[in-house]
Amino acid sequence: MLRATLKGMAARKARLILTSLAIVLGSAFIASALVLTSSIKATAADLNSSSYAGADVIVEPVEPETYGDRVVRDGVTPETLAAVRDAEHVEKVSTTVSWMVNAIGSDGKILAGFTATLAVNWGDESTARELREGRAPETDQEVAVSAGFAEQAGYGLGDSVTAYSLTTDKTEYEIVGIYGYPGGRDTYAGATELAFTTAEAQRLVFDGADRYSALAVTATEGTSQEELLTEIEPLLGDEADAVTWDAYIAEENAESAEAADLVGYFLLGFGLIAVFVSVFLIANTFTIVIAGRLKEIAMMRAIGAGRGQIIRSVLAEALLLGAVASVVGTALGIAAGAGLTTAVANSFLDMGETTLAVPVSAPLAALAVGIGVTVLSALVPAVRASKTPPVEAMREAVKTDKPITLLTVTGAGVTAAGGAGIALGLAEVFDADRANLVAAAVGAGAVFIGITLLTAWLSKPLVSLLGLLWSWSFAGKLGRRNASRNPRRTAVTAAALMIGVTLVTATATLLTSVKASLNAYFDDNVKAELFVSGPPTSPVPASFDPAVMDDIRALDGVATAVELYYDPATIDGTEQYVNATTDFDGIVDQFGGTVDEGSISNLQDGEIAANRSAAEQLGVGIGDTVTASFTRGTEPHEFTLVAILDDNENTDGWYVTTAYVEEFYTPKPTQALVDVADGASVEAVTADVEAVLADQPEVSVLNHDDFLAQITVFFDFAIIAIQLLLGLAMIVAVIGVINTLVLSVLERTRELGMLRAIGMTRGQTTRMVTVESVTIALFGAALGVAVGLGLGWVLQQALAETGIDVFAVPTALIAGYLGAAVLVGLLAAIAPAVRASKVNILGAIAYE
Amino acid sequence: MSTASPVKTTAVSAEGVWKAYGSGEAQVVALRDVSVQFASGAFTAIMGPSGSGKSTLMHCLAGLDTTDRGTVHIGDTPVTGLNDKALTKLRRDKIGFIFQQFNLLPTLTAEENITLPAAIAGTKADPDWIKKIIHTLDLSERLSHKPTELSGGQQQRVACARALATRPEVVFADEPTGNLDTRSGAEVLRFLRTSVDDFGQTIVMVTHDPGAAAYADRVVFLADGRIVEDMADPTADKVIDKMKHFEELVAAARGESA
Repeated sequence: MLRATLKGMAARKARLILTSLAIVLGSAFIASALVLTSSIKATAADLNSSSYAGADVIVEPVEPETYGDRVVRDGVTPETLAAVRDAEHVEKVSTTVSWMVNAIGSDGKILAGFTATLAVNWGDESTARELREGRAPETDQEVAVSAGFAEQAGYGLGDSVTAYSLTTDKTEYEIVGIYGYPGGRDTYAGATELAFTTAEAQRLVFDGADRYSALAVTATEGTSQEELLTEIEPLLGDEADAVTWDAYIAEENAESAEAADLVGYFLLGFGLIAVFVSVFLIANTFTIVIAGRLKEIAMMRAIGAGRGQIIRSVLAEALLLGAVASVVGTALGIAAGAGLTTAVANSFLDMGETTLAVPVSAPLAALAVGIGVTVLSALVPAVRASKTPPVEAMREAVKTDKPITLLTVTGAGVTAAGGAGIALGLAEVFDADRANLVAAAVGAGAVFIGITLLTAWLSKPLVSLLGLLWSWSFAGKLGRRNASRNPRRTAVTAAALMIGVTLVTATATLLTSVKASLNAYFDDNVKAELFVSGPPTSPVPASFDPAVMDDIRALDGVATAVELYYDPATIDGTEQYVNATTDFDGIVDQFGGTVDEGSISNLQDGEIAANRSAAEQLGVGIGDTVTASFTRGTEPHEFTLVAILDDNENTDGWYVTTAYVEEFYTPKPTQALVDVADGASVEAVTADVEAVLADQPEVSVLNHDDFLAQITVFFDFAIIAIQLLLGLAMIVAVIGVINTLVLSVLERTRELGMLRAIGMTRGQTTRMVTVESVTIALFGAALGVAVGLGLGWVLQQALAETGIDVFAVPTALIAGYLGAAVLVGLLAAIAPAVRASKVNILGAIAYE
Repeated sequence: MSTASPVKTTAVSAEGVWKAYGSGEAQVVALRDVSVQFASGAFTAIMGPSGSGKSTLMHCLAGLDTTDRGTVHIGDTPVTGLNDKALTKLRRDKIGFIFQQFNLLPTLTAEENITLPAAIAGTKADPDWIKKIIHTLDLSERLSHKPTELSGGQQQRVACARALATRPEVVFADEPTGNLDTRSGAEVLRFLRTSVDDFGQTIVMVTHDPGAAAYADRVVFLADGRIVEDMADPTADKVIDKMKHFEELVAAARGESA
């Protein structure tokens, strides 16, 4: 039996190779995800272990509890430094001053990106630095820069660079040195760096206070890390905390592991999609293989093979196919994982040399999934094959299609149940919002599955309809008829494509609706035409000099211009957004807010205003007192609540006068709203405001559309990422369509021979097969688009209360999907069409 | 049986045709120096035992297979040496086919199957002519049916109508009654006879059934790749009688060529 299986497989090499491609893809993605994750972790651990090399204990400021890394930490004090230095078993203490700064490149723009620009003190031993050119900074007007900074900013030795922090004014420094890192790296994990004298670094980071970001303490010979830690801990002031070097590195490793896991999950997602879609493909392939062998199987049954033997023979084939494909996929995946690690490490993190780590789980998981999915997918066709009656061997093969009634009835039932769930959810039948949302979401999922089951039933009318596109050509007409000839097979083929297109269309529709809703909200509620703000991606909050506000207000055509300061403060022990401005009426007006109680117009120092929900959260009313601590403040302040605003997303939070902005994390305004006077040209005012902001490199002036484009940039990234998923599904779909067409061409050899005999040209034959292919692919994509749009609509409706109240269709993307489907059809048709056009007429029509 | 057309021109001719399959030890010579003419407006049957080369001869005549040596003409057109494109066009415009297996397109209705050759050529079939054939074949009630909804006899009648639809110079029929019961077979043969008598159609039919051959004007007997007998105005008895003495005919033919 096994020998027969092997011989049978050898005879169908091409189809098996195509089918196994999907399994190869799936297991390769899984293996590469696991390898990449492990390797990045190992590489990062290598890099991390070089920080504070040789130190035994690291002293750092106590982390503020609430705002994590976004808040400037109070530095370690010189008293703590002195106490540590004098400890008995301390050999040496090196100091680090380090935080993010803004630096202006040779093009006059802020150096921006996903990694920060850091200011450090030269002599800091958080990492090893190797001077490549020039020397260390000696005066406060000098700076040494990392080679990565020099390259990105476009500077060389002797140039001057302007840098400033949130608390300092722009200052020019002369570049006296350029340095790199061990291993020939230009940056430290992607971050660009400027090294100043310790005093200048303290001015930039700690506003001139004698503070340190960290102390690296080395023990005298014979003292362990733990012993040193025990000795130092009592010497520290309240502001500082100490950990052993080992614990510090472990913490750093855990942080980089989180990032590595994220990348890994992304790849794993791709792998699972490939696996999911390949289930259809494998099941289809085995159905096809078995259909082609029906006589053979019947003959085997006739000569005494049991049903179990037939099932085992099919499953043996699946097992072998799955094993070979998964081994290839795993090998490819490990290689790809290694390549990706290098690519990720170099392009995003500039880690230099990478460490390849292949966890045992990588080959195990990839093989298990690849083989398991193949065998499980082949199970249904195998069982069906075993039911072949022996008498089939004697009969002239009359193919009677299995009726699709059961499939259709089940599909209709599931769709109807899903529809009911959606209706209940959207009609908010349940008391809890969550229950309504769940009902709608589960319903949407059920509709998706139901329609997948209904694909066969839908294929006949829809394929016919789509086929009308080509009915101008006779070959096209025949192709169209052929496409709707075997609804079951057309359905399974199209389903592979439909699933992928449905998922991306639904996601893209939801994201587009979110963007459209934001747009509509802005247009309806925000009066100001122009915004002054910086990119949301910059690590340092973009801010600007408040002095420019007077210049903007003085411009012709500007009706109102208000600036906004912002701080993530603590009020009565809770996290609250606090805003400050010089024009409260202006802010409320521009943001379309209303004052509900009290008055905000003449807010005085010591007075505070809040929106309704913020006040209710703290349980305070007009006249009550709250205590607020600002990020940089040393003392809390007491405020009396004098005004309450109606709830409005734009005016969310609390309002104080600008007297407190010195204590804000960003002591300069981060945003300004400009209302253009009626009749004035928005373009002209934009240009004028731009001119005023020429010296403010962090911010730019944007209209509604630009501003939204800027804050919705993450949605665009998400949309692009899901298109990649679709691309993968498309590859698998191509294989599926090829499979189906090859089978159809095989089955219709006699027909093709007749057509050629009575005068159909090779070109017409090719066109006929191509039309069939494109029609099936388009059917899958069109159904996917329709279902995806439907699901997107349901999601949008269900989430309408959260503010996604506009339904928008991603037209360009949908056109793209349909175009891609045509491409899939064309590509898949090539080989089968050539085969069909080369059918041996005699062989096809000759009797016996 | 009478012949309708008084002026005899040659519709199909073969001149010194050789055809062999395989090579070396396994070589099978299917046709040995066959020369034969088929007159326009005549119904000719080709007979012979299995492996005699009758199907190969028909395939070579119809431009479905190439000859190793010798030439074939359809009317004035030389078939030998044409490329695939020209052969396709020749088959489309000048030849009609009727197969044993009917070979109708299951996706098309009877009417669409009948007009298929015209549709492939991108031309419009002559509606009066089509109507006439359909009427003669008694298919008027069945035009909108798919092949699977028709009986074998009906399917073969549709195939006959398809073969005649473009008024080809010659119709080749390969065992047209092989898959039919006696009654349906007789209907098909009567139609072929009628199309020769009333429409002046030329038909070349391969068969091994003496009863079918009796409908023809002439029977050409093939054995071992040679023409061994050419009989005019056959009857079933004459054909059966000839076949009884087949061994002698073959031996005589071998002796001639040796």
